[in-house]
Amino acid sequence: MKKLWIVPVLVAAHLAAQAPPSAQEASKKKAGPARPAVARVTAAPSYKDLKYPAAKPIPIPPVETVTLPNGIKLFLLEDHELPIVSGSARIGTGNLFDPAGKIGLATMTGMVLRTGGTRKQTGEAIDQALEDVAASVESSIGESSGTVSFTALKESAGPVLAIFHDVITAPEFRQERIDLAKTQLHSAIARRNDDPATIVQREFSDILYGTQNPYGWQMEHDTVDAIARPDLQAFYNRYFFPANVRLALWGDFDAAAMKTRIEKLFADWTVKGEPVPEFPEVNARTSPGTFLAATGGATQTFFAMGQLGGMFNDKDYAALEIMANILGGGAQSRLFQQVRTRMGKAYSINAVWGANYDHPGLLEISGSTGSLSTMETIRAVQKEAQRMRESEVTEEELRVAKETALNSLVFAFDTREKTLSRMLTYDYYGYPMDFIQRYQKALANVTRADVLRVSQAHLDPNMFSLVAVGNPNAFDQPLEVLGRPVTPISLAIKPPTVAPVAVNTLAVEILARAQKAAGGADKLAAAKDFVQTNEFVLAPAAGRLQVKVRTRWIAPDFFRQDSEVPGGGISAYYDGTQGWISTPQGEGPLVDLQLDQVRGTLFRLYFRLLLGDRIPGRTLTTAGSGGIEVGSPAGDSALITFDSSTGLPKTVSYEVKQESGARLQVLETYSDFRDVDGIMIPFKTLVMQGSQEFANVTVTEAKFNSDLQLTDLDQKPAPGVRK
Amino acid sequence: MKAPPLCLLLLLAPVSVPAQDLKAFEKKVTEFTLPNGLHFIVAERHEAPVISFETYVNAGSVDDPSGRTGIAHMFEHMAFKGTETIGTRDWAAEKKALDSVEEINDSIEAESDKGLKADSSKIDLLKLRLKVAMESAESYVVPNEFLSVIEENGGADLNAGTSLDSTVYHYSLPSGRMELWFLLESQRFLHPVFREFYTERDVVMEEERMRIESNAQGKLIQQFLAASFEAHPYRNPGTGWPSDLKNLRTRDAEAFFEKYYVPANMTIAIVGDVDPAEARRMAERYFGPLPARPLPSPVRSVEPPQAGDKSVTVDLPSQPLAVIGYHRPDQNNPDDPVFDVLQLILSNGRTGLLYKHLVQDQKLAVNALAYGTFPEGRYPNEFVFILAPALNHTVEENQRALDALMLRFASKPVDMETLDRAKTKARSIVIRRLADNAGLANLLATYYVNYGDWRKLFTSVDDINKVSASDVQRVALKYLIARPRTVAYIRTRVPSPAPAGAGFAGGR
Repeated sequence: MKKLWIVPVLVAAHLAAQAPPSAQEASKKKAGPARPAVARVTAAPSYKDLKYPAAKPIPIPPVETVTLPNGIKLFLLEDHELPIVSGSARIGTGNLFDPAGKIGLATMTGMVLRTGGTRKQTGEAIDQALEDVAASVESSIGESSGTVSFTALKESAGPVLAIFHDVITAPEFRQERIDLAKTQLHSAIARRNDDPATIVQREFSDILYGTQNPYGWQMEHDTVDAIARPDLQAFYNRYFFPANVRLALWGDFDAAAMKTRIEKLFADWTVKGEPVPEFPEVNARTSPGTFLAATGGATQTFFAMGQLGGMFNDKDYAALEIMANILGGGAQSRLFQQVRTRMGKAYSINAVWGANYDHPGLLEISGSTGSLSTMETIRAVQKEAQRMRESEVTEEELRVAKETALNSLVFAFDTREKTLSRMLTYDYYGYPMDFIQRYQKALANVTRADVLRVSQAHLDPNMFSLVAVGNPNAFDQPLEVLGRPVTPISLAIKPPTVAPVAVNTLAVEILARAQKAAGGADKLAAAKDFVQTNEFVLAPAAGRLQVKVRTRWIAPDFFRQDSEVPGGGISAYYDGTQGWISTPQGEGPLVDLQLDQVRGTLFRLYFRLLLGDRIPGRTLTTAGSGGIEVGSPAGDSALITFDSSTGLPKTVSYEVKQESGARLQVLETYSDFRDVDGIMIPFKTLVMQGSQEFANVTVTEAKFNSDLQLTDLDQKPAPGVRK
Repeated sequence: MKAPPLCLLLLLAPVSVPAQDLKAFEKKVTEFTLPNGLHFIVAERHEAPVISFETYVNAGSVDDPSGRTGIAHMFEHMAFKGTETIGTRDWAAEKKALDSVEEINDSIEAESDKGLKADSSKIDLLKLRLKVAMESAESYVVPNEFLSVIEENGGADLNAGTSLDSTVYHYSLPSGRMELWFLLESQRFLHPVFREFYTERDVVMEEERMRIESNAQGKLIQQFLAASFEAHPYRNPGTGWPSDLKNLRTRDAEAFFEKYYVPANMTIAIVGDVDPAEARRMAERYFGPLPARPLPSPVRSVEPPQAGDKSVTVDLPSQPLAVIGYHRPDQNNPDDPVFDVLQLILSNGRTGLLYKHLVQDQKLAVNALAYGTFPEGRYPNEFVFILAPALNHTVEENQRALDALMLRFASKPVDMETLDRAKTKARSIVIRRLADNAGLANLLATYYVNYGDWRKLFTSVDDINKVSASDVQRVALKYLIARPRTVAYIRTRVPSPAPAGAGFAGGR
């Protein structure tokens, strides 16, 4: 069925190459049925000759507002076009209330509120019940408010409202859905640097607001791991009470009947709560700076520059919107005209005043351009910004900007849902209900002098902070030419601290002794690559064969092993995720047993085994007779025992899976330790399988940090070599 | 803190709605075709004093000539550059200047084509002259006048999109300004001009960098399609291959326009606070003068049967993501509704099988989706799965779990409860969309062009209701189980920052 289905976001990005995106949402005026054109159309008619009927007033339907006995403030709006009933509850809370050590708590509470089920039903039962009737109930907590919403066919409104009520008043936060939410959040953290456009927006905002406060900090693996079910329950209990809830419903119902119905439905919810405190003050950066997140290999630079902005209720808000619009709002704006249309240096370029309801927003100019035109484009942007404060905009620019804003205002009210949600938002943030009418009036009164005055007060390129994401080696000029030091932005994601509660201090101590004996933990951790060649002499029972094995490794998890056996060579390559294997019989992807084997070998690389306390995800536990067991998230594990006199490892034992599914115990005993680049490596190893001797191994080559290249590692053997 | 990009691929479509009566809806819809072949569909919705307009051209990137990929999209950009009267101070003088830009470009091309024998100093000189000529042409331009007029009259959601099958142009206006749309939309196709073509080509190259080169998902999809299709032009990216793109000329855009922007190959939908009689009068007045021309031929290349599995690795500094595709027939195949049902069973909010098993229970993926029709449906295409592995889980693990799941799924007919849930969802999606002017305008035009009747928008629900459990099993077995497939996945490679050439960057 053609395009019936929701077009995937990612697919849309690729397939639908889009034309001029023009900004501007917001404006007003109306229109009546159009009248016939004035002139008869013969040659090319001009739009300048068109006459339009007087605009219809913006239809803002009356919203009924009432406060229920338990304190819920109710907003109702009838809409009989389709047999649908929808609603949205706004809760006074936000992730601005996250505790510093548990960033992500509000977000997770918002997720599990719905998914974790209610006292009556599991989340899964709710999923099924809702989807059987094509309805939905969803919840989330954002920066400065929480939302629980529903939509249902009129005929199933009853049961859906009951679920909606239960989600708000009696969520259960079941552990399995907390676990799922954590998996999702950990993955979101890991994926947060996947898209340069996202990086630049995030870093710009975080840098301006400051990364040490709730406006600019971000969740990390550790802050997510620190959150537990009681935290979610406590967060919920603090903010979810009737007097802190505004509830809007719209759709195919009778308002009076619906009021009675809601009052009855929520009558059992009578908990009281302390008033919610104010959100924290914004304490934003006031000094300008230049910041760069270097991404190797990028062909395009994403940039954002600007300074602290303001709020919707500033007296100059309308003039500031006009200012941003003329600078970088739509196709008629100066930035679009100059940077895109004349220079052809950007597809996307725009400026937004970015006001907020309750705290200052950010004035932001952002865009992307080819690496080679980075500075050229940034300079052009600065020049246009500077020009805004040097002289008045033209009468025509002002007229167009005002018309644009006023004429499009109607689209903010073209559905009941938009209208009601706007009213709810005004009420939530303490704005007057006629805010939009006041804004409309203010827009009409903006003068050229106003635009110049607010530009001089709020738009100053000398005070801009600039954030760029790109490959500085390919820039036309370095960012330093802007005259300020360039502060690098690290995109490194802090790895999760290894199970903080489960740290086995004794095991860590034993390991520390071995690390010291082997050359020091820092020395071991400094290894960037490693190559080693071993001669295996297999035991008589294993056929006395001689096998030469060369192992190469590049941090963090790139691995290559080439074995020469009589009859041919076997090569395997693994990149930490997947790999291939090449044998005289052919080649293919690493799967099943072979994949397990390679991953196991990589896990047990001698010097990496000694870093069990440093490699993310590895676990340490004590085992009998002074040994320790090292584990990995993938399920690998190895038991190490140590030489009590030297502190060096004596044996390593582990299990390998066999074709039959049975597990085979392997024991390696080390001797003949020698210093290789400052690290003690065993040059002789005896390998036992089960209770049988399997091989004697001698090291013939071992080297650290010899600048191995990835290109060599994943090189497949030429067919001739396999012979 | 801003909300994290949690729902990166998450699709939790808000659902719901009634079985709206086709009869009731039909009363609101008026249709007519002008003598030149241009078809109009007008739907009245008087909820608010606004109207949405959509022009649907039944030609897209799939029609790009070989070596000229990206031209359908380039023309779409040109369609915003104005006309012989809009966007210029003096068309006659501008036209002369534009002709001279073309002449110089011809000379540059001719000289460059000599290859080794090309005279580089001559080319440099020509390029200098080109710059002067372009500046001269530009001096007559009123920049972005076409767009500005729309914006200043309150135009909302102003945009256009070139997809593989089609090109659409759309925006919404306060209803009192309807005539402005008729005037501008007809003029852009009556008197197209190709001004600022070469600067706009640079803009499109930036767009290509933004959407594909700098975007992991964009790059992955591009690589997936290029591998999945060998003969059929679904293999080409809509923005064009960069080397084609940078050589496109105005005459390519003009030729594309002449061949494909034929009135009978275009459909217009108008939805909102509109009087249909008045719309018709204006349609006749403004679009009547478009000359009738013959319909272009569809693409005749047919993708040959896939000989075996294909695998594409895309090395990117991005977390793993995989696309797995199986060939399927086009949208007019009788099994088309079955593919839709399959998609809804596998990938439907929190109760879709993929989400339930891979995301919720096994926690192998942060998202797992199925798309029944990909990249588009006019020609034989692909049924795809998209897997986003959870942290510490691999593409390989996900793929194995998906294979096991699909094998189990296809081994017996689906239970009635699951099948019914999918059908309920299908109906609700259709009816939900009726509430939105712009969405409805798009659907009316799309269904009319692709199925010959906008009513298919409603009757497709009946087709879906006829799908049986054994149909689902049959189609899954026929197309998705042990069939040749194409797998493309992102392998995470982090090029070292700052010092160039160091570390892995040098290895790529």
